[in-house]
Amino acid sequence: MARLPLLRLFSLAMRQLLRDARAGELRVLFFALLVAVAASTAIGYFGARLNGAMLLRATEFLGADLVLEGSSPARPEQIRSGTELGLDHARIVEFSSVIAADNGIQLSSIKAVNEQYPLRGELKSAGEPFGAETPGGGPKPGEAWVEARLLTALDLKVGDSIDVGMKTLRLERVLTYEPDRAGNFYSLTPRVMINLADLDATGVVQPGSRVSYRELWRAPPGSTALQTYRDLVKPGLAANQRLQDSRDGNQQIGGALGKAERYLNMASLVAVLLAGVAVALSANRFASRRFDASALLRCLGLSRREAMLLFSLQLSVLGLLASLTGAVLGWLAQFGLFYFLHDLLPADVPPGGLLPAVAGIGTGLVALAGFALPPLAALGRVPPLRVLRRDLLPIPSSTWMVYGAALFALGLIMWRLSLDLVLTFALLGGGVVAALILGGLLLLLLQSLRRLLARASLPWRLGLGQLLRHPLAAAGQSLAFGLILLSMGLIALLRGELLDTWQNQLPKDAPNYFALNILPADKEAFGARLLDVQAQSAPLYPVIPGRLISINGEPVQEIVSKDSSGDRAVQRDLSLTWAADLPQGNVLTAGTWWTAQPGDGVPGVSVEAKVAESLKLKLDDHLVFTIGGENREARVTSLRTINWDNFQPNFFMIFQPGTLKDLPTTYLTSFYLAPGHDQQIVDLSRAFPAVTILQVEALLEQLRSILAQVTLAVEYVLLFVLAAGMAVLFSGLQATLDERIRQGALLRALGAERRLLVKARRIEFGLLGAVSGLLAALGTELVTWVLYRYAFDLAWHPHPWLLLLPVIGAALIGAAGVFGTRRALNASPLTVLREG
Amino acid sequence: MGASILTARNLSKVVPSAEGELTILHELSLELNKGDSLAIVGSSGSGKSTLLGLLAGLDLPSSGEVTLAGQALSSLDEDQRARIRAEHVGFVFQSFQLLDSLNALENVMLPLELDGRKDARERATHLLERVGLGKRLTHSPRQLSGGEQQRVAIARAFAAEPDVLFADEPTGNLDSHTGERISDLLFELNKESGTTLVLVTHDERLAHRCRRLIRLEAGLMVAPLEP
Repeated sequence: MARLPLLRLFSLAMRQLLRDARAGELRVLFFALLVAVAASTAIGYFGARLNGAMLLRATEFLGADLVLEGSSPARPEQIRSGTELGLDHARIVEFSSVIAADNGIQLSSIKAVNEQYPLRGELKSAGEPFGAETPGGGPKPGEAWVEARLLTALDLKVGDSIDVGMKTLRLERVLTYEPDRAGNFYSLTPRVMINLADLDATGVVQPGSRVSYRELWRAPPGSTALQTYRDLVKPGLAANQRLQDSRDGNQQIGGALGKAERYLNMASLVAVLLAGVAVALSANRFASRRFDASALLRCLGLSRREAMLLFSLQLSVLGLLASLTGAVLGWLAQFGLFYFLHDLLPADVPPGGLLPAVAGIGTGLVALAGFALPPLAALGRVPPLRVLRRDLLPIPSSTWMVYGAALFALGLIMWRLSLDLVLTFALLGGGVVAALILGGLLLLLLQSLRRLLARASLPWRLGLGQLLRHPLAAAGQSLAFGLILLSMGLIALLRGELLDTWQNQLPKDAPNYFALNILPADKEAFGARLLDVQAQSAPLYPVIPGRLISINGEPVQEIVSKDSSGDRAVQRDLSLTWAADLPQGNVLTAGTWWTAQPGDGVPGVSVEAKVAESLKLKLDDHLVFTIGGENREARVTSLRTINWDNFQPNFFMIFQPGTLKDLPTTYLTSFYLAPGHDQQIVDLSRAFPAVTILQVEALLEQLRSILAQVTLAVEYVLLFVLAAGMAVLFSGLQATLDERIRQGALLRALGAERRLLVKARRIEFGLLGAVSGLLAALGTELVTWVLYRYAFDLAWHPHPWLLLLPVIGAALIGAAGVFGTRRALNASPLTVLREG
Repeated sequence: MGASILTARNLSKVVPSAEGELTILHELSLELNKGDSLAIVGSSGSGKSTLLGLLAGLDLPSSGEVTLAGQALSSLDEDQRARIRAEHVGFVFQSFQLLDSLNALENVMLPLELDGRKDARERATHLLERVGLGKRLTHSPRQLSGGEQQRVAIARAFAAEPDVLFADEPTGNLDSHTGERISDLLFELNKESGTTLVLVTHDERLAHRCRRLIRLEAGLMVAPLEP
């Protein structure tokens, strides 16, 4: 039962806090917390908003945020509920039809769109084939925008007329880019885009025609209406309807987003970690500076509980103030960054909402609790007798509690940032083990340095002596600085090499063209022509559209769950192929690749692993496909993973060679042709009018710009890590300042010149920095090995340039250390007389 | 004046304070010859430590001049005064003021090294043997008792063979028995080396072992010189 009412205690706490603030005692703690919260808030906002921007980019591939697709028109209530929620709406009707012109006919893929299309991204078109692109617009009633290859095939030019069904339309522009085409390379027929208003007049779409109806939806920024709509519509989806959003719109972009998020979180984790160390150091100093006050208060009759409460209240108020200020600062910081980068980022970066600020404040308070609670608990245990005997220290908290609390706080923050328990435990556990081992090594190293330098000159012995005065503290400081350098090393790696490695997976000469619809008769000639123009080409793969209809005798519709990738795989025609060799970038995960032609039995098929998982396929399962009206059987003989990032033609189903030979087949390939060879492409499409040539440059450009955004973000985050690192450095120095001032004054009194003191400091901090750098180099290698192997799935190799870290550490910490202790250098020698 | 090693002429020290200017020391003059010993006594706040600081060149007077080993201190900058201290001055402090980061031997070597002497290690070892700590050369200050620490400090003070030794309450932190033995040691070594000794103390018995004594009260010399 407290004898002091809480209110009185609170007012006492506030008065003490105000007085201490004036005395400047709490400034370091405030600063450390400020950095922690500002860093985590800014990074939170930056990540959330950047993520939003990237999602927007990704939505371009759909032309919308959400698409309701079906083989029959959406029901009126499905449209109504969307518009009532305030969502923007556009409509596409897509079907195949024969285009008739004076010079012949061509099967084409007709896309009828209304004025609102597209909701995300823009169409690009040109006034003549392979002419200059201009973005924006769309076909007006009476117009048709077509792909250049239709003009080639029918020998038409802009301004000519074509007939779509019963409607005559004027060729207005050459269509060069549809945002929502990228995800769907394998449409084999040339595109003709017309206005939706002309659709009825064509008379092509009749009951029973194979038509795809797509309802496009876009939510206003920050709105949750999309999710509401999704929830509303999902239960009522007809069997022939499905919802698509940007996440599953395109595998490549989805992968890039996931990786970007991980990079950002990893970097912000490091910043928060460092600021946490600074909070721990300064909280420790806060506590030890209050031992006397605590003892006195206990003497005056305050209970242990009340004494602790008093100091906890002070820290909580301080923590809240610092956290709120930090959140505002962090918010401003990200705002500034987006302002400076507005040329590089899309104009409509969504706002981040309140969540990052709240999470930032939470991070700050958790860090304060985890790192400051143990020293605070020690305050409560200061024996009152200390007023008589100053050397009495509180019984130290059990080490388990001290480190347990800090580790728990760290773990909580890590988990919030990574949302990955395995990664959190791996990093945390690895960190603790590494800290113990490295700390031990460090102590040994310092001790042997001491023996080594026993006969060294005075400044060396002074510097080293200061380091070794508290070997445990020196080891701890070195670990903390090591962590700073480690994070710098890590971020440099993330920024440079990891992104390079990633970009290298998407090589400079990644295919920038796809060629589809190559007729068997043209196969040899086309391949030879590609060689002539020195294009680097993937093999020509046969393609046969076919649909999976049953697994082990059961219809697939009854097996797969709605909206899974397996569902999408069976809802549409798959591009089936056959191959004698496992394609590049494919890795077998189960079964064996065939080495011979099939015998008389059921032929083998190799299935992509994710689709297999979704369809619950196992080796030896019996599949039936319908191909060109015929049913064909196959047996699963292997499962494969595919590298989706490499822009090679990839297939879900690969048949044993020879199996499908009797069926009508076309070939497809991808190839790289250096920029500036547009004429070769025109010639190529002239020479092979039936072949569809698709440019993937635009898609690659989009991927590259996403990479550029990620790189920028990571670089920006480095600033926060540095700020946090400086907070650690200065809060560490602050703790030893009194002693250093005394020592500096004494040496001056004994006749030491300023130069000698500066030299000793440089040696001390230079040594500390060098040792920390060595630790950091080792630690970075260890962490990257783990990250590469488990988080990013990349091959690891050593980085000799990390040996620069000790040099950087010596220079950086040497300079900062001398700067941070300049008060001790300038201390008047008179101070020695004022003591004791 | 020939043999005078330390002179003060009309020393005043005035510091700004909340109530206007505060005079700590007023128009004080003295002159010490080689081998002299001087005790400065007075109550707390009488200006003893201020005077010591000025005489040792740790601080500069508001007016007046200190001449130490023939050099007028106010014409020198802090580094030049440090040079003078390294060459001519030794200190013993009330709270010992050993560097915790150095061991006993290294503490004694410190002024020798600051003076650039090559025989630092040998001479420091010899001095520590002289003060009875020959077996504790590599002990750190924290491993030594208060009396032992002050003996290290005395060894350090005499190490560089200073012309003037300043002692600020050298026995103030020690019990009376240990204090007695420390002051014996101090005077013995002073006699052996012919050093000029300036001593600030509360301890009248210690003060009266000096040849000369001044008593300060509120910055004024009230009982000048001869014992």
